[in-house]
Amino acid sequence: MSESSTLHRTPLHAAHLSASAKLVPFAGWEMPLDYGSILEESRAVRTYAGIFDVSHMARFWFRGPHAEQELDAALGARMTDLAVSKARYSLLLHDDAGILDDLIVYRTGEEEFFMVVNAANRERDYDSLSKRMKRTTLHDVTEDGGGILALQGPRSREILEALSGRSGFCPAFLDLATLELPKIGSIMIARTGYTGEQGFEIFFEANQAVSLWERLLELGAHPVGLGSRDVLRLEAGLPLYGHEIHEAVNPFEAGLRFGVRGWKTRNFVGSDSLRSLPEPTRQIIGFTAEKRVPREGYPVLCEGREVGVICSGIWSANLDCPIATALVEKNLEGPFTVSFRGKEMPVEVSPLPFVPHRSRD
Amino acid sequence: MRPEDRFYLESHEWAKLDGDTISVGITDFAIEQLGELVYLDLPDAGDSLSKGETFGEVESVKAVSDLASPVEGEILEVNTALAENLAKLQEDPFENGWLLKIKVTGSDSVTDLLDAEAYERLVEAAS
Repeated sequence: MSESSTLHRTPLHAAHLSASAKLVPFAGWEMPLDYGSILEESRAVRTYAGIFDVSHMARFWFRGPHAEQELDAALGARMTDLAVSKARYSLLLHDDAGILDDLIVYRTGEEEFFMVVNAANRERDYDSLSKRMKRTTLHDVTEDGGGILALQGPRSREILEALSGRSGFCPAFLDLATLELPKIGSIMIARTGYTGEQGFEIFFEANQAVSLWERLLELGAHPVGLGSRDVLRLEAGLPLYGHEIHEAVNPFEAGLRFGVRGWKTRNFVGSDSLRSLPEPTRQIIGFTAEKRVPREGYPVLCEGREVGVICSGIWSANLDCPIATALVEKNLEGPFTVSFRGKEMPVEVSPLPFVPHRSRD
Repeated sequence: MRPEDRFYLESHEWAKLDGDTISVGITDFAIEQLGELVYLDLPDAGDSLSKGETFGEVESVKAVSDLASPVEGEILEVNTALAENLAKLQEDPFENGWLLKIKVTGSDSVTDLLDAEAYERLVEAAS
């Protein structure tokens, strides 16, 4: 049996093939890497608008009268003041404050929450959360045939407005709205994303997928693959699990304090450990380079001494140079070099994000 | 079928024999696997190479790959213009996208490498 026959397919699989997608295995799913050009797709999102099928991402529902309290105790972010129809970024911590995952929680009702987590962490997250949620029902609906489309880019607002048929329709940053579409039906739309651009994520049912996708293409959105998604998130300085964040990094080192807001006084899994952590000695910083891309795992040196490691590196389509993040010792002046294949290349420290966020525009 | 006038490495380089020199390049399959190219690092003419030695690197948006020499030899010529015109390599890897011309100095023969048919099977198994 070939590897691909065991992979999950999103309801847009056939649509990707007809759009000439290069499909690759990703976290157990067969997903579009690109539709011909990672670089052009990355530029299209910053200058116009793109749509990404991110239906591989895991979707969980939490329901019950104790959902708010139990989620508040299970997650790094505070849930008790999350209003209905609002989204919030959170970390999921291990007892020792190592990062198990990062995720978005959407409050869909007083006693109902929806969560999107990284595909690669789906089972581990489900196990951790079900242990932590004793009196709340937890449903993993990742394989129900529905999915998620991300519409991202400076023109996404007008595309969404046209899709909705409602003049001025535009959820505010981190807002969640329900939209009734002719011929498609009811969809959930959130003002969230992973590109740093103005954008939305649309949650749909299996039977809505193709007509929604086709309608968004008609309205001018470019199909964009996971290759560009990685370029865009790194340009926006956004962490990716397994790279900037993992079990051996704590939220302070990762610069993700807002994913554990209230940690000094709240009680949640990992909060005791957070309170006993020493001052962080490492931090995530950004680098640009001239020609070569500093790749994940390459050692970072300062004055000939190894001071850290590259977390992610890619060619930035929009800056037209290599960009990278690194986990390095704090309070170093530089200059830094990156060592690879017996060579050393100079890198320049760059503030993060590399490309300014416009997600609230 | 890819060009039958040359031989192939499992690491997706090709070698075309012309007298006692060979031209070396990478295949369309290698390029397809890498995706859009952003950087090419090639050695200088005059350098000597052993068989299988890494002589350079080709880098795409997402990955970097070593370039291996098919034979022991001395580099006669380098397609230096390519580094500034990666589209040429991307679009025409078998002709204008050649990387090096090498004078064979060792005893090994490129004819021991994969022929086009064997390479085709390798690619089919890999894709």
